[in-house]
Amino acid sequence: MSMLLPPFQVHEPSTIEDAVRLKAQQPESDWIAGGTDLLPNYKWMLNTRPHVISLHRVGALREITPKRIGALATLTQLATHVELRESLPVIAHTAGLIASPLIRNSGTLGGNLLLENRCFFFNQAHLWRESINFCLKASGTQCHVVPQESKCYATFSADLPGPLIALGAEFELAGPKGTRRIAASKFYKNDGIDRHEKRPDELLTFVHLAADASKWRASYQKLRQRDSWDFPELGIAVALKMEGEKLGEARIVANALECAPKDVSHLADSYRGKPLNERAIDEIAAAVEQNVRPVKNTNLSPSYRKKMARVFAKRALLEARGGGVRLNGARA
Amino acid sequence: MSLPPVANPKHDVKVPDVDPEEKWRPYREPLAPGEHPHRPPEGYKILGTRVPLVDGPLKVSGQGVYADDLFLPHMLHAKLLHATHPHARIRAIDVSAAKRLPGVVDVLTGLELGTGHRFGVLPLTKDEEPLAAEKVRYIGDLVAIVAAEDEWTAKEAVRLIRVDYEDLPAVLKPMDGLKPSADKIHPDIGIDETNVQKYVDQEFGDVEAALRKAEYTIRRKWKFQGVTHGFTEPHAVVAHYTAKDRLVLWSATQVPHYVHRALAEVTGLPPHRIQVIRPQVGGGFGGKSDPFPHEMAAALLAMRTRRPVKLLFDRDESFYSGRGRHPTENEFAIALDRDGTLRAMDIEAVIDGGAFASFGIISTYYNGVLSMGPYKVPAFRYKGRRVYTNHIPSGAMRGHGAVNSRCTLEVLLDEAAEELGLDPFAVRLRNLMPAYSHTINDFRITSNGLRECLETVRAASKWDERWRRLPLGQGLGLGCGFYISGSNLPIHWDIPGMPQSTVHVKIDWDGGVTVHTGAAEIGQGSDTVAAMIVAEVLGIPLDRVRVYSNDSDLAPVDLGSYSSRVTFMMGNAARKAAEEVRRELQRAAADVTGAQPELFVCQDDAVVNQADPGMRVSFLDAVRKAMDHKGALVARGSFNSTKMGGTFKGATAGLAPAYSLNAYVAQVEVDLETAQWRCTKVWAAHDCGKALNRLAVEGQIEGSIHMGLGQVYSESLEYRGANLRNPNLLDYKIPTSLEMPDVEVFIVESNDAEGPFGAKEAGEGPLLPILPAVVNAIHDAVGVRMHELPVTPDRLYEVKERQGGWKKPTLPKASVTVKAGGRHR
Repeated sequence: MSMLLPPFQVHEPSTIEDAVRLKAQQPESDWIAGGTDLLPNYKWMLNTRPHVISLHRVGALREITPKRIGALATLTQLATHVELRESLPVIAHTAGLIASPLIRNSGTLGGNLLLENRCFFFNQAHLWRESINFCLKASGTQCHVVPQESKCYATFSADLPGPLIALGAEFELAGPKGTRRIAASKFYKNDGIDRHEKRPDELLTFVHLAADASKWRASYQKLRQRDSWDFPELGIAVALKMEGEKLGEARIVANALECAPKDVSHLADSYRGKPLNERAIDEIAAAVEQNVRPVKNTNLSPSYRKKMARVFAKRALLEARGGGVRLNGARA
Repeated sequence: MSLPPVANPKHDVKVPDVDPEEKWRPYREPLAPGEHPHRPPEGYKILGTRVPLVDGPLKVSGQGVYADDLFLPHMLHAKLLHATHPHARIRAIDVSAAKRLPGVVDVLTGLELGTGHRFGVLPLTKDEEPLAAEKVRYIGDLVAIVAAEDEWTAKEAVRLIRVDYEDLPAVLKPMDGLKPSADKIHPDIGIDETNVQKYVDQEFGDVEAALRKAEYTIRRKWKFQGVTHGFTEPHAVVAHYTAKDRLVLWSATQVPHYVHRALAEVTGLPPHRIQVIRPQVGGGFGGKSDPFPHEMAAALLAMRTRRPVKLLFDRDESFYSGRGRHPTENEFAIALDRDGTLRAMDIEAVIDGGAFASFGIISTYYNGVLSMGPYKVPAFRYKGRRVYTNHIPSGAMRGHGAVNSRCTLEVLLDEAAEELGLDPFAVRLRNLMPAYSHTINDFRITSNGLRECLETVRAASKWDERWRRLPLGQGLGLGCGFYISGSNLPIHWDIPGMPQSTVHVKIDWDGGVTVHTGAAEIGQGSDTVAAMIVAEVLGIPLDRVRVYSNDSDLAPVDLGSYSSRVTFMMGNAARKAAEEVRRELQRAAADVTGAQPELFVCQDDAVVNQADPGMRVSFLDAVRKAMDHKGALVARGSFNSTKMGGTFKGATAGLAPAYSLNAYVAQVEVDLETAQWRCTKVWAAHDCGKALNRLAVEGQIEGSIHMGLGQVYSESLEYRGANLRNPNLLDYKIPTSLEMPDVEVFIVESNDAEGPFGAKEAGEGPLLPILPAVVNAIHDAVGVRMHELPVTPDRLYEVKERQGGWKKPTLPKASVTVKAGGRHR
């Protein structure tokens, strides 16, 4: 199958250092790993660049251990990794919920963490965008979701950041000035264009899991219309530390509802040290619903997605707490 | 919706004095099972078995040649410039920058081409042009075409073309199309000063009186979003004007013959200097059943450049070329007696035709008149309007014109049954139309296996024990269907008596049997059924037969793969051609043996004396004997439909040589917290007369269920302003294998008297019942009646909130038992 792409020059470094050096030499470039996000966007002429730096030869980035995962690990590898499924089942589970089997075979961890935000008015062919005079996020000056000229409302649509934030992961970035680590919870910005703290000359190399990551009981609940392929209409990640029946600590991330994953862990603060019973769970879930502000740029209506934030928060809390997810309906 | 009459009605039909009882009186007895005039005396060997499609191995191994697989010497690549305004006059087009781009060979614009190249699939509404000559009519309309040495250069050149548009008011709501307009989308077509392209006002019997006198009436309004075909292969074409001054066009099409005719009209070439070749086609479903502007534009470009031109669509371009199911708003009222007897049906529909007419005249009729079956309708009124809008053109899609109206009717019957305290099966059984009878608008009904369909799915689904008795969140629903098995009348009537399908059979010294037919194999299995029929009649193994169906120079005309006509019409033509060959082989065997020709039958790869089976001539010997001093055996068979139907305006719309019928029960489960739902099981009974290839029939039923389910579950052409919001297969949500229910298929064989070997269609009708069956099942599960598709979870949740929560419906108070009756009545 041919894919009609704009011409670009491909660079193929084999080490992290070479990759970073190349990037400094060619600032008008994009990183490419699995290509399942970048190439469709290029095909639609979305912010294309003349140089593409492929990471496929940087073998060091393929590492998978329960402590550290390389950005080049494919989603299929994460979903099926025996050790990961044992120690961090929520990561393997979430990776297996992304896209479709074929896309997971090429799509990578790094690609998912840095996935372009998505929007009705952005993810369109050139002709389509030309007919609306383009949009703030590509070639235009107006947002069509919330018509104004300052902020882009494209929806954050990656799944893995939710559970990684909940588990206290850190991202390692390699740049011309060396490497640095940043907490996943501090990485994303609530803006559809200026999306994260990674500088353009940096490469996301590794995800470091916190030493206690496997001690947390975690869940990720994803809403989408079809059980494959679709990006999340919302995702709720929960990680809990329980002290017997009582809640020790809770981390809750509301995902795919705004321009960035939203850490709403504080909503559970007043329940610490108390039994995490159904009533407490219902109250926390209701608070999650009150704290999210979806807009109309995904398939299902924003008011529905907001209400479902409560249902999915409840399900995530119930599953993380244990005792099984109670489903009133059929989709067990 | 109380549609006003049109200002200058020309075609209103009023037939007040119908006598329903007379129409419903059977005109002949059904055939007994196993008896059929086409049946070989020794019974079937190949027909009725499960045969994998004969072109399947090529396709699955990658050896099948599709249009995009063709590479000709010196071939150019073309790309189209699509309109970015929904309705605008083209003031000027600047192609200078595009022409300067290295590698660009030619640029052709509609402005340059001018008017006078109109065409369209129906002779009465030729409103399409290769490229927009004066104005564009929707976002996606064709403005210019570029030919370049490679595809990327062509794409870049398209982006360099500058068009100066003068915007005109756009019609983006179908209801607005009913109003007078100073800037009609097609000024010279349609009704009055409005954008109505076609209107139908018909009444049979006295509907007002029936509604007034009825013991019970119910009326409901529905809204259906547009849906598209979602075939695998985007449109693709290669055009070549050869050094022999002939235009050759390879195109992914369902209707090579109509493409042939349109090319002749647009190019001015006589038809004999045009050759249309249909390569392998990756699905059509009606989305490749018009002659298309892009085919014409590629042909014109090939003629100008004298080089082969390839044009391959991107997926969004296949969305823009459209011809999907019409976005529809309709309203149905029915009158019934308390026992469920149907007294009258009153239908209104406004269908959004988009920018062009396509099959619109037929679509407008079908949205009403295909509700004439499968129930006895004693009084019927229909007002239909198809409006031009500045949307993507609608057209024919699997179940053409019958799907939305069928959903409305079958859900209405469910609602009526509930309010009357009747079982939904009882209401259907009470009103079944008889086999071999007529409807009040003079549709000639032949075989009818609906009773058996109903009884089968009722038993298989354990309906009587489970309907209304499953826990909250789980439900069962019933839906039935009725569909044409081939449109009785051809689209063109310029050559009286021209058969709708002709088949040639040729056998030469090698003993291979070559079948020539123009019937377009588009994945539905027409090559396979042609091969099976010929092999059956000649008593030979399937591997002796090869089917050539793709080249207009070689193939006798078949009108195309649409309206579920191919098995019925081409099947009968193939049967007749093979029967003619069989007679020659019988004579040859008689010459060899000295016995009478009538004694011989063709079976087991030989010509055998029935009275004395030891007396046999091998197939190959018989062929060579028949060829003696004459050369290859050649024979032809053809099909012309029987004259039938009324004489009023529009009487031919919906007429078919036979009708398929079906009944499905669907089971759904609804998540009570999220309103997400799943169809978990379908019991599907379909009367296709006789399944010639059981494997293909099962595949058609399963595929139809998948496609129909998509329209209920998630598929929808969504507009943001004038723009189609989701012209891609991520955002246009076709259900995946995970959403596909378990399907139990029951093939009902009513043994049609005129179908080839008793067969009727199985390609479109099986789509109809799944929509209402699922909607009715959702009601049984959670007590919510949806009157809009698709039933997305946010929409279902909203209706639930509005009505105050889920509620399991209760069993009917009255219990009506209907006795099982005779076979297929």
